[in-house]
Amino acid sequence: MRKPAGHTIQPPDLLPDVMNPTPNTAAATFLAFDGVVKAYPGTRRRALDGVTLSVPRGAFFGLLGPNGAGKTTLLSMLVGRIAPDAGSVRVGGRAIGREVLATIGMSPQEPAIYPTLSARENLEYFGRMQGLRGAHLKERVQFCLDLAEISDAADRRVEQFSGGYKRRLNLVIALIHEPEILLLDETTVAIDPHSRSLIHQRLRELHASGVTIVLSTHYMEEAEQLCQEIAIMNHGRLVIQGRVEALLAAQANDTLVLMLDREPPLALLARLQATPGLRDVVVEGRRILASASPQRLGALLELLRESGVEARSLAYGGGSLEQMFLNLTGAEQEAA
Amino acid sequence: MNLSHFAMFLASVWKEMRVISRDRLALVVFFVMPVLFVLILSLALRDAFGERPGAGFAVLVADADGGTVGQAVVEALRGNPHLRLVLGGHYSEQDIRQAVREGRYKFAVLIPAEASARARRRVADIAAGVPADLVMEPPVELRLLSDPALRGDYRVVLEGGLNLALYAAEMKLARLQLEKNLRALMGKAALTLPQPNDVHVFSPVRHESVSGGRGGQLPTSVQQNAPAWTLLAMFFLTVPLSVSFIREREQGSLFRLQAMAVPSWVVLGGKAALFFGINQIQMALILAASVYVLPLLGGDRLDPGQHPTALLLLGGSASLAAIGFGILVALYARTAEQATSFSAAAIMIMAALGGVLVPKAVMPLFMQQVSVVSPLAWGLDGFLEVFVRGGSIRDVLPDAARLIAFSALCHGIARLRYERRI
Repeated sequence: MRKPAGHTIQPPDLLPDVMNPTPNTAAATFLAFDGVVKAYPGTRRRALDGVTLSVPRGAFFGLLGPNGAGKTTLLSMLVGRIAPDAGSVRVGGRAIGREVLATIGMSPQEPAIYPTLSARENLEYFGRMQGLRGAHLKERVQFCLDLAEISDAADRRVEQFSGGYKRRLNLVIALIHEPEILLLDETTVAIDPHSRSLIHQRLRELHASGVTIVLSTHYMEEAEQLCQEIAIMNHGRLVIQGRVEALLAAQANDTLVLMLDREPPLALLARLQATPGLRDVVVEGRRILASASPQRLGALLELLRESGVEARSLAYGGGSLEQMFLNLTGAEQEAA
Repeated sequence: MNLSHFAMFLASVWKEMRVISRDRLALVVFFVMPVLFVLILSLALRDAFGERPGAGFAVLVADADGGTVGQAVVEALRGNPHLRLVLGGHYSEQDIRQAVREGRYKFAVLIPAEASARARRRVADIAAGVPADLVMEPPVELRLLSDPALRGDYRVVLEGGLNLALYAAEMKLARLQLEKNLRALMGKAALTLPQPNDVHVFSPVRHESVSGGRGGQLPTSVQQNAPAWTLLAMFFLTVPLSVSFIREREQGSLFRLQAMAVPSWVVLGGKAALFFGINQIQMALILAASVYVLPLLGGDRLDPGQHPTALLLLGGSASLAAIGFGILVALYARTAEQATSFSAAAIMIMAALGGVLVPKAVMPLFMQQVSVVSPLAWGLDGFLEVFVRGGSIRDVLPDAARLIAFSALCHGIARLRYERRI
């Protein structure tokens, strides 16, 4: 796994100040995993290996980790489809059961919808399965269609939908019964920027209205933008948990973060690496990370202008979740 | 079960109906193909079943005699409604053999010239007291040429019929000879013995079917094919059933329903109810076609019997058994391809064992004993009880009970599997 040079992320045991920054009391903790262990039959490695994790009520919580880290297993435990071998999973102090499940909306990784039914029929069906009836059901269906901005295609078969429309429908089906908790499993994978932006906007609105959201994602940028608190998992273990700002502040250093107006040309990277006073240059999409003294900033900006790109923002010490993620999961994998 | 769950169940059935109704090809496969299949097979196998040996077969009688013997043979064969008689006394034996070889006639009866005269001469010598083995005139020989592809039992039946006709001719010739001898002996100009047909020492054999027993009675083509292929269609419907279930699992909609804590019986029952309805429509269509359409095409009409409730019970229990099997396969198969190939193979084995492909009545005894393991055999036995032996609901109860027990077992295992948390 790629590991940006020049950034040193302290391992979890050296970050006691950012681990579980929210007091883990019964009042604050809404979703609680306590020493959860799970091993699937026929596999040597545990899918979850003693995970203790808490999510406060009303949080926008990011669950990060590479494939096989145990994120989907955790979410599946919350909806009662997987039982822990040891430990406990509780929601609002209650074990997972029919009453708890009625408060949860789940948006699975792949659009869990009936392709030969229309969007409206899908919403009506899942609404009925949540116990909604009559005028209330109609009202909720229309609300969800509007929320996803797919009212224009409400009566079209879903198999004719674009990927973005399917993802939006997949999300709002989870909201049909006005859940207190929304679980999102890689909800914005492989969709167009417009749909992703719309989904992000809706998630912010839902969070503002008091819904507790748990987002499992690969996209660090997405987690950074949306989540207040995150947990990073690897190989079934919790690597780190904390508030996003606190975690990012913990890795503040002399790293210069430049956000450009567009992705830089390839030749620019070589010129940056050859520029005296700049070290550990990394280009990530529109973002450039480098160790640089403030005295070299003028020369750097000039170089950008010559290459035809402009800096939109510039900051020091801004580590990113992605760097932290790569360092932590990379370290874990090496240890494993 | 509460009202809310029942409303969910109705919604689940409604959803399944919508999904299926939008698949036109599936509708053709469900309803049109089984009916066509039964019509085609019932017509094609019309003469291979039941009590119709030689039905509609063309038989050529080459009567080079034209006398008493030829008349007796022709009359005997004319009396058989299943034979189409063609008289061709002028054909040469070579032409006749060629015609049989080409399949234009299944049988040809060759009556030699002078057969009646020779028979009369032999009767006269025997009546005059000459020992039979010293009579100069040898017995008259009739020959029967047959298509080698024809079932042996048909040939035996025809041989028996011909021998009976010859025996009648022999008796007639003997009576005439006896009259002649008596007239000469008694010096009377006219003396007539009673005609054998007027004697009636024995009344004709009266046939009576005895219902209630099983086996030993071959159904007609339509009696065998209509229920057999109805059952096969019901069980083959488990393939789309399990595939639709697996597709839902792959799409994630099943996971979503499970995450909503929708009761298992709502999800499984929604599918089962729809496919149960499809099965009943299939059966009604096949039976209707067998009763009303098949006779128009030249086939036998299916007599649905006097006990429609017995048919309803059998149709319902066979459908439940098939659906239980389909859901069980769906829950254990990992992919749709796996479910399809396994179901198809398993159903064909059950059908072969159950007398669907080959009637149980023509199977060897040990195969008939093995066939009791097949749910299709239970269903078919029940239907044959109604169609062939006029069975009532009481007669088919054991078969229906076996099917329902099989269904309950499959559904029970499937439900446990569905609800199992990993």
